Amino acid sequence: MPLVSIVMLCWNRLADVRESLSRIRLIEYGELEVIVVDNGSTDGTPEMVETEFPEVRLLRMEKNIGIAGYNQGFEVARGEYLVIIDDDSFPAPNSIDRMVKRFERDPLLGVIAFDVRNFYHYDEVASFEEAVSSTESSAAISDHYYMSFNGAGVGIRSDLFRQVGYYPEEFFLYNNEMDSAFRIWDAGYRIEFHSDIIAYHKHSPVNRASWRAPYYYVRNAFWLVWKNYPADMAIKLTRTLIFHCIHASLEQRTWIYLKALRDAFRQIYRISGKRKPVQEHIAKNLRVPYDVFFTFYR
Amino acid sequence: MYFLHFIGSFRMEGWNVLSKRKEYSRRALIIRSVSFQQLDQNFLELIKTFPRYEWDLLTHEHGVKLAGKYQSVHRVISYSYTESFSIWRREKSLKGKYYDALIIPVANLTGAGFLNVFLFSLTIKAKKRYMCNLVSELHPVSFSTIAVKAMMSLLNNVVSGILTGALLPFLWLLFPRMLNHLEKRSGR
Repeated sequence: MPLVSIVMLCWNRLADVRESLSRIRLIEYGELEVIVVDNGSTDGTPEMVETEFPEVRLLRMEKNIGIAGYNQGFEVARGEYLVIIDDDSFPAPNSIDRMVKRFERDPLLGVIAFDVRNFYHYDEVASFEEAVSSTESSAAISDHYYMSFNGAGVGIRSDLFRQVGYYPEEFFLYNNEMDSAFRIWDAGYRIEFHSDIIAYHKHSPVNRASWRAPYYYVRNAFWLVWKNYPADMAIKLTRTLIFHCIHASLEQRTWIYLKALRDAFRQIYRISGKRKPVQEHIAKNLRVPYDVFFTFYR
Repeated sequence: MYFLHFIGSFRMEGWNVLSKRKEYSRRALIIRSVSFQQLDQNFLELIKTFPRYEWDLLTHEHGVKLAGKYQSVHRVISYSYTESFSIWRREKSLKGKYYDALIIPVANLTGAGFLNVFLFSLTIKAKKRYMCNLVSELHPVSFSTIAVKAMMSLLNNVVSGILTGALLPFLWLLFPRMLNHLEKRSGR
């Protein structure tokens, strides 16, 4: 039975972290290592983890370093497979076992994207999960395009993730999974959703009109394009993104998209030397919902 | 005796069929334009608001299996295109179908950025259309509301097109050098 490392990144979410770690204790898989990377919480989260979950390996960052914190966790993980979760998500009890079986059967399956469902809908999804036989096909894939994954619940081969350089730290937040997806497909591995491998996430129903999501999604969308696409596609997509930035700014009466556009160019030094265009079929077929990045503000 | 039993069971079954028909006397379609995480939440509220509706759900190909988890969904329909929902890409399997309610979930409060889905909804025959936002509030959407949104968007398109066009020469000039600078060098 191969070792699996669950890596969680947290920042000031004590109650959610406690609940997720309690749920992780219910996972029906023997060889499990849990790593929590705390991004400088000030609400007592790391102290709670230390006292209530002594089996967890805790890494404490001095300040919030964004997704770079995950990479610290991946570096120390000993598992053959990594499972990445948020501080308010957790895998369903039999998901890790099912994930490992799928990985063991298919050496070119690089990533298993969990079906990340709303925690508040737990009962209905859980009854489905129990009803499904682990032998029947559950891959939710398309013949026409390639998929990325959701970082609130995903399994990845450790060696593969190391090979592609883990998450892009310069992104800080958002779209990091998409950047990794480009490099994973380009390395010759597949990403598949499996409907019977489930994680639960506390999807917040409250729209805080936060500037963070629209800003980072859009700034990083430019960097995604510049890092990963062949030159001809990169220029067309850049033009499209600029159009969207202006259009969304007018429609939603905000400067946030223009600020993201400005900073994509102004901070371009952060992705210096990191451009490596992927193969053409990947650039054409990996599904990136660019228009969706402009819908998170209001 | 058997005859009475037969009549009794017929009446019972007949009543069940009738009551089931009555229970699902109306039909609704959800156009899945948001994540399943959000839809999980929205759907709970939708079932409460429309208790006697039979639900269909239209989703892109990769979402069909994931949508199959909703016990309350009668039929999951796979959108025949890989691209976003568009008024120019009608779903042929919905031709001739009629819904009492058409639900358009949006990932924010106002529906900004979802005009393509609103316009697409006009390709499906429906008595009423509703926008269901991030916090599961339902807002009726009429043809005229969509038309006004489309006209505003058209105006924004013109302005955005002109401004983007003005920036293009700089982009064409700088872009090759910029990409070259970003290129990963071997041995770095």
